Amino acid sequence: MRRFDCLKALSGEAKDALVVSSAGATTLEWNALRPGDGNFRVRTLGLCSSIALGMALGLPQRKVIALDGDGSLLMNLCSLPTIARMNPTNLIHIVFDNQVYEASGCGETATAHGADLVAMARAAGIQHTLWAHSVESFAEAVSRALAERQLTFIGAKVETGRIEVSPYPMDEIENKYRFIRYIEKTEKIEILKTNLPTSYL
Amino acid sequence: MKVDAAARTILSGLKEAGINLIASLPDINLAELLRLIEQDRDVIHVPLCREEEGIGICAGAYLVGKKCAVVMQNGGFFNSNNAIVSTLLQYQIPLLLMIYYAGDIGDRTFSTSGGMTEPVLNAMGIRFYTLRELAQAKEVIQRAQVLAEDSKRPVALLLTKEVLGRRPAAGAI
Repeated sequence: MRRFDCLKALSGEAKDALVVSSAGATTLEWNALRPGDGNFRVRTLGLCSSIALGMALGLPQRKVIALDGDGSLLMNLCSLPTIARMNPTNLIHIVFDNQVYEASGCGETATAHGADLVAMARAAGIQHTLWAHSVESFAEAVSRALAERQLTFIGAKVETGRIEVSPYPMDEIENKYRFIRYIEKTEKIEILKTNLPTSYL
Repeated sequence: MKVDAAARTILSGLKEAGINLIASLPDINLAELLRLIEQDRDVIHVPLCREEEGIGICAGAYLVGKKCAVVMQNGGFFNSNNAIVSTLLQYQIPLLLMIYYAGDIGDRTFSTSGGMTEPVLNAMGIRFYTLRELAQAKEVIQRAQVLAEDSKRPVALLLTKEVLGRRPAAGAI
């Protein structure tokens, strides 16, 4: 199974869901499939699931999708019990497990040696967890998770290799501003206020 | 100073500064503050397993409009350093770091952590203020939040036993 085909299936379902993607090729492939300001690229390995949790808690009426990797999640396994404890019903946590640190030279991760991320998510207390074994079952799981209001963790074993797509078209700070302005516009809220000098306060 | 009065003052300072999401990990000296945060209906409380995930949670919540703080020990601040650098500083995201100052002057333990706290904050370019007077706490919290928002960077407040209140003596911790 190719990650790109899973992402393509997801892009048909995601609508206006906010998408947080882990450092690496996933971000580039996703951005090619669904460009837009509702995408946020993570730069700290491991933090994808936590940043997505923060968004889901902050905007409980909005769907949030985390596109995580095995290396990333292994670095922040403790995000799983925290996500389970907070139980945000608008969060879908997807992990593409290629069993290597692909962006860092393809050394094997612990999932190549028996670590089962879906079993870990279930053991952490997340009730709805599954491995998707085909693009079709992945698409079906995503569709169900988006339709129902329940925290869902989806694992997908994928091949290594990436599709040739364009580089990410902006730096971190532009990504931040565009994302926040997109939230302000679509949620009709004010986040960034002009700061007055203290003498004006 | 009583521990419960101190906790009430600090929490109301945080709320008056607009904070509405707090991620935390316990220290015995933060226990009363965290108990009040957990009970407060105006604040989303996220109890953490490790402080670094709290930096991510608060960054995500900030991006969708929340005002956040992390309450933790200085050991937790050390746990969070990569996330602070490559998420908060890299993306210019403000965050109030409420750090219990273990190993502060007068402590019998954690002097190594205490001694490293201010140098690491300085090295990261994080402006910080050491709270020793509860009477000043509310105002300093609000001003620190203004600074975080204005500078678009994390700002740290070091919480000492003077400001948190000393627990009744029950063996040295």
